[in-house]
Amino acid sequence: MSVIAPKFRLSYLIKGITDNIFWIIVLVTLLGIPAIQIVLIFIDFPVIDGEVWNPFRVFDAMTHPERVLPLVKNFMQTDLFKIVAFPGFGFAALIAAGTIFVERKMLAKLQLRVGPFYCGKVEGILQLMADGLKLISKEIIIPAKADKPLFWAGPVLFAATAAAFVALIPVAPGMVVADVGMGLLAVFAVIGFFPIITIVSAWSANSKFPFIGGIRALYQMVSFEIPLILSLLGIVMLTGSLDLVEIVESQANFPWIIFMPIGAIVFFICILAELERIPFDLPEAESEIVAGWLTEFSGMMYGLVQLGTYLKLYAFAALFVVLFLGGWNGPWIFPMEPIAEIITDGVVLMPDALTLEVVGLPLFSQEMINGTIWFILKTVAVIFVILLPRGVFPRIRIDLLLHIGWYKLIVLAFVNIFIALGLVYSGIIGPGGVL
Amino acid sequence: MSKQLLPGLAIEKVDDRIMTLNIGPQHPGSGHMRIIVKVDGDYIVHCDPDPGYVHRGEEKMAEYRNYITNIPHLERPVIHDSCNILYPYCLGVEELLGLEVPERAKYLRVIAAELNRCVYIEYWLAIYGIFLGHSTMFMWPVGDRELLIDLLEKMTGARVTHAYFVPGGIRNDVPPNFEDVCLRQINYFEKRLKEYAAVFYDNPILISRTKDTGVLSREDAIKLGTTGSVLRASGVDFDIRKKEPYDVYEELDFQTNVLKEGDSYARSKIPWLDMFESCRIIRDALQKMPKSGSVRVKLKPKPKGGDTEVYRRVESGRGSLGFHIVSDGKPQPYRIKISVPSFRNLIAMPHLLTGEKLGNMPAVYWSLNYWPVEADR
Amino acid sequence: MSSADSTEIVKTDDSSIIPDLDKSLSDSISKKFSNIEIAYVKPDRIRVNVKKEEIIDVATFIRDELNFDHAESVSGVDYPEDKQIEVVYHLGSYTDVSLDKKILALATRTLREDTPHPGNDNTKLPSLRDVFPSVSFHERECFEMLGVYFDGHPDNRRLLLPEDWADIPPLRKDFSIKGR
Repeated sequence: MSVIAPKFRLSYLIKGITDNIFWIIVLVTLLGIPAIQIVLIFIDFPVIDGEVWNPFRVFDAMTHPERVLPLVKNFMQTDLFKIVAFPGFGFAALIAAGTIFVERKMLAKLQLRVGPFYCGKVEGILQLMADGLKLISKEIIIPAKADKPLFWAGPVLFAATAAAFVALIPVAPGMVVADVGMGLLAVFAVIGFFPIITIVSAWSANSKFPFIGGIRALYQMVSFEIPLILSLLGIVMLTGSLDLVEIVESQANFPWIIFMPIGAIVFFICILAELERIPFDLPEAESEIVAGWLTEFSGMMYGLVQLGTYLKLYAFAALFVVLFLGGWNGPWIFPMEPIAEIITDGVVLMPDALTLEVVGLPLFSQEMINGTIWFILKTVAVIFVILLPRGVFPRIRIDLLLHIGWYKLIVLAFVNIFIALGLVYSGIIGPGGVL
Repeated sequence: MSKQLLPGLAIEKVDDRIMTLNIGPQHPGSGHMRIIVKVDGDYIVHCDPDPGYVHRGEEKMAEYRNYITNIPHLERPVIHDSCNILYPYCLGVEELLGLEVPERAKYLRVIAAELNRCVYIEYWLAIYGIFLGHSTMFMWPVGDRELLIDLLEKMTGARVTHAYFVPGGIRNDVPPNFEDVCLRQINYFEKRLKEYAAVFYDNPILISRTKDTGVLSREDAIKLGTTGSVLRASGVDFDIRKKEPYDVYEELDFQTNVLKEGDSYARSKIPWLDMFESCRIIRDALQKMPKSGSVRVKLKPKPKGGDTEVYRRVESGRGSLGFHIVSDGKPQPYRIKISVPSFRNLIAMPHLLTGEKLGNMPAVYWSLNYWPVEADR
Repeated sequence: MSSADSTEIVKTDDSSIIPDLDKSLSDSISKKFSNIEIAYVKPDRIRVNVKKEEIIDVATFIRDELNFDHAESVSGVDYPEDKQIEVVYHLGSYTDVSLDKKILALATRTLREDTPHPGNDNTKLPSLRDVFPSVSFHERECFEMLGVYFDGHPDNRRLLLPEDWADIPPLRKDFSIKGR
């Protein structure tokens, strides 16, 4: 695809470079300086640690890099950073990408295959990037009789709802995108959106296979939402609050899964059904209805739907960790003592005389790093267990699915609630309990 | 319900409640045939199988070819199981021409036939897995099948459609170290077979989907004339290798597997149990085989049969396959009729599917060990 | 094989006596029905030629008294020189252990017309579907391939041929494959 230059002359090259330099200088001067002036008139300087950060400080920091650290630290506490990078979209998307790759590789090894192999030097690591590029470059085809506004809105809404779900999960002490007082209730509300979006995108495609798939997805999601919510009521009773951060803090000594194993199992099965993973992947049953409600999506719309699905996977796994496995609590593994002191106080070369340190560290508090590491470990473990049934089980039939959702799981969820009530009223655990 | 206008066209009155579905040839869950089902809600009220999409006129074309040139032609109905479909043809022509097959050829024929049986059953199991949505059960049998296809390639030179059997023996002898390689691969294959139990046959979701669905009682199985694994899953102990032994099956030590329930689970389990028996047969045959000898009877060019007819049958991967050869003294056969087990089991399909749930259809239909290409010939 | 010859052909290659069971089977049929002929009695293979008017009685007798319970195959053979089409039913037994190896070939003939109109001409046979239910799909195939109409079969329809087949039934000898 590259065109070999017919002739190469040094003078042409130098001319090209000087042309570019000239135009850059002109544009920066004519447009950039007025833009900076306007920005400086209307925007206040940030105040960090009691000092006003005016442009002179910024230039100064550019030459002494360690003085940028308070600025960076302040930036990490802002909402923008939390939404975009950590613990919001960027973090979740990274974990989602890792999940897709691990799923394909793990499934392949389970099935005596190799999986992605050629992209990237090491066992096909760059396969996802290749897939992403391919999806971006494909044409987006809309069926002629489809309902266009709804059809376009479907995948965007799906990804947006999944992102909203991700926003509610606390990752580390102080790091949660949306600190809502009734976090769990907000989670239920957001989960309730997914069937609506599925049926909207299935209906608007105006074709038989998406329609059948959408109806099946509706049956499945609705019938498993009730046991999902019921199984978590036990936790709410035991902690006495709906706030996710408080639920995690209440598990400082023991995770709730020890007392609520039935609730954990019911919740796990409902997760598999909500995510449409095998054995509950009826809405996308490939040997019966091609691809279900995703049939008509092509190109980046399909990419958005996949992104939404895997964000949902991460969010559900993170929710499981937060509610049942103790969130970010765990023994202190990092940073260990000598390193911790070095980070905060610097290396003491000669006592009282010479200390080598970087002012402004630590960027994060120690608890936050430890908490994040434990959270990631637990989430990854739960994701593994969610991915595993795909290689082991066949697809379940629809009447068995509804039977499980409406009879067995609701009964088990109620049993779980009675256990929780028993524990609270006997005063063992819960608000005002012995433990 | 329908008025016959021309042969093949009919007018039907449309009913409000009943929906006619074409589980057609272009469907990921149907194979190369069409099943016209009428459903009332989720229950099938009428089922009409419509094979014939792969009908090539094998029997008619066989009348134009000599007895020897018919061999690559007649093995095409089932390309994996080609040795088993040529077996009764070769036995029949040997009876017509009065040929005596050498001992070593008989043992090698038995080994090739059993390998073919395993190859076919693995492929059938793989498709059964994928119809139920179990991708691991698709990958494992197809992967293990490669071991056997490798052996067949060493034996015959081709992976499928071997054209290995000729009237009077087999086409060529096996390479020198074939016995050791075969024994090693069969031992590993048997170990792999045992792992299917954990992932497939003891899988609770599979059991809940296939147990007690599509139950074929013993009387119905006999009356409808079903054969092969369908018959043995309903409690009838009939295997032609035991009842009417051909070649050296009398001297080999194996048993037939019979289950009594007659549901889809039993029908899916019998072929897997049969594969263990095939491994036993192959090991036994390798041991008892004469170490050297000719493998083929020299034939005159364009052999002519007498003025008689023969009917020979053989137990193939799907059931009893019969050849009715009528000859009138010319080098071409007068009439060849292939009685394929898939076609004989086809009659069980409307019998079982009527009254069944639509969601059970793939589990029941494919468990009948139905190979569409063979049924159409 | 013409139907006027009624000698019993004995093929003895490795057994010097005809097995008693085959002989007794063929004798019981010929004792009961006088108008049939036994074409041959080989080890494990018996062939009985029947006229089409009596075939249902003979088949019922074979099913009830001799314990043959299903049909292995139904093949139609076209004899244009005799102007007849022959249909051979190969019957086997699953329930009777002594009959495991044996196949009884029940053959009958019907008239053949030069220009066939399948279903509307004289090429008709009574259907054995009520006696042996296993023949129903085989008889459908025989109908479409040779043009033999089976009276009493509820469903004489196309099975394997495409719906728009307008030529003569393909397994007849006058039908030649294009190019040969």
